[in-house]
Amino acid sequence: MSEVYVIGAGMTRFGPQPEAGVHDLAFDAAWAALEEAGVEPGKVDIAFAGHAYQGPCFGQKVLMRGGLTGMPILNVENACASGASAVLGIVQAIRSGAAEIGIAIGAEKLSTPAGGFLPTVADDLDSSMGRVMPAAFAMQARLHMDRYGTTREQMAMVAVKNRRNALRNPRCHMQKEVTIEEVLAAPMIADPLTRLSCCPVSDGAAALVIASARAARKYNPRPVRIAASVLVSGLRTPHGIVDDKSEMSIRASRKAYEAAGLGPDDVDVCEMHDPFTIAEIIHYEDLGFCAPGEGGRFVEDGRSAIGGAVAVSPSGGLLAKGHPLGATGVAQIAELYWQLRGVAGGYQVPGARVGLAHTVGGGVSQLESGACGVHILVA
Amino acid sequence: MAESVASDAATQQRPIRPGLFVEAGETRERPRLLGSRCRKSGQLFWPAERMNPVTHESGTMEPAEIEGGGHIVSYTVVQRGLPGYPSPYAIAAIQLDAGPSLIAQLEDWQGAALRTGMAVRLVIGTIKTERDGTRVTGPKFQPVVDA
Repeated sequence: MSEVYVIGAGMTRFGPQPEAGVHDLAFDAAWAALEEAGVEPGKVDIAFAGHAYQGPCFGQKVLMRGGLTGMPILNVENACASGASAVLGIVQAIRSGAAEIGIAIGAEKLSTPAGGFLPTVADDLDSSMGRVMPAAFAMQARLHMDRYGTTREQMAMVAVKNRRNALRNPRCHMQKEVTIEEVLAAPMIADPLTRLSCCPVSDGAAALVIASARAARKYNPRPVRIAASVLVSGLRTPHGIVDDKSEMSIRASRKAYEAAGLGPDDVDVCEMHDPFTIAEIIHYEDLGFCAPGEGGRFVEDGRSAIGGAVAVSPSGGLLAKGHPLGATGVAQIAELYWQLRGVAGGYQVPGARVGLAHTVGGGVSQLESGACGVHILVA
Repeated sequence: MAESVASDAATQQRPIRPGLFVEAGETRERPRLLGSRCRKSGQLFWPAERMNPVTHESGTMEPAEIEGGGHIVSYTVVQRGLPGYPSPYAIAAIQLDAGPSLIAQLEDWQGAALRTGMAVRLVIGTIKTERDGTRVTGPKFQPVVDA
């Protein structure tokens, strides 16, 4: 199969940006990515734009600001996995030979939220019944605690770690360190998850310029190879998202490891889907960084910190960097691109050569989740 | 369908979605869920399915009433929910003895010492209240205390 490379990345700050329109945010990220790549706008063969709530023809409205018009522009929605889906679209277009250079955009503006929750989706039965996302993850936490003895303190350590990482990333929504005690004492949202156990609802955008091997060589002396680009959709399962593991994360990561010819031990840096503290603990296990049930110990022993076995969410992750849904999956891969080039600044993972991005999107009644994307990048 | 229809605006109610449940009445001692059964495999589904999504067979579904006994698989108490929901409220993943499972709020849960595995039974109650006072009703589950 032909190789595919990231040759440029752009990202706005994450967090409330009431003054900025979402199309402007997305365009700023897209233009920054094109400038970093050194790609002339006329050379872009295809664009995919990932978002969940930004309306029709989003990608066209963004790219027309720079005169990028006429080529195929596809808008993709897969809830929190929209950005990962947009990247997959570009990778497949390039692998098929239909395109040499593509741009993946992800963006969301959520700063007019429903009291901190995502907009309600009236057509989903679980949501209508009152199963807000924190409740879904709280029920996961209950199962994990009951089955494996995972503690509230261990869950809080995820928030402490990601907040600490975020202090060194100027793009982060949350720029304040927290202690275990503060996480535990914060207002309860859905037991055992307190406010500091939940990601904020953010605005933001990210973009990637992705190219074939031939085009990559022309524009970038140090492109970063996309060794695996995998998306799986959720299976029907009795309790939907309520489980003490994410089977779809297991399936997607195993497919990605196989495609890349790598395993969990090879991963130096991971940008993980951590909208709630418990999710990161469960996903350590799903992605094979530790055995089932050992996720709590994994964070407690510092093995997911920068300098540990695998640095998880050195950018601050969804918990601290923020979670503008459609932007998140693209932003994770942008972070890996910078990490693997060694230019991540204060939150650089020393010597990182292999990076993994993982996103899960969409609470759908009687499905595991909507979609799960895993990308593996190699320096 | 709900057999009691209130006319007073203050006590107006509507089901969360039509065709999901049937209330207790003259012919039924307890409320039941309305779903579907595959004539071939016997498997029950809630809500009703158009075809059998497990075997991919069509034309085998028939309406079915589903008994509301089951147990709690996992649960949480939501302290601050969306506007209109009765915060704090308890919500749980419920496994029905009849086969299907669902996520639903609990009724009479305060002081019930919630735990996974706890037996529950179906009641029809208020899931949320709309801004004009309309009660949105649907399946909820009550801990069975004297099992």
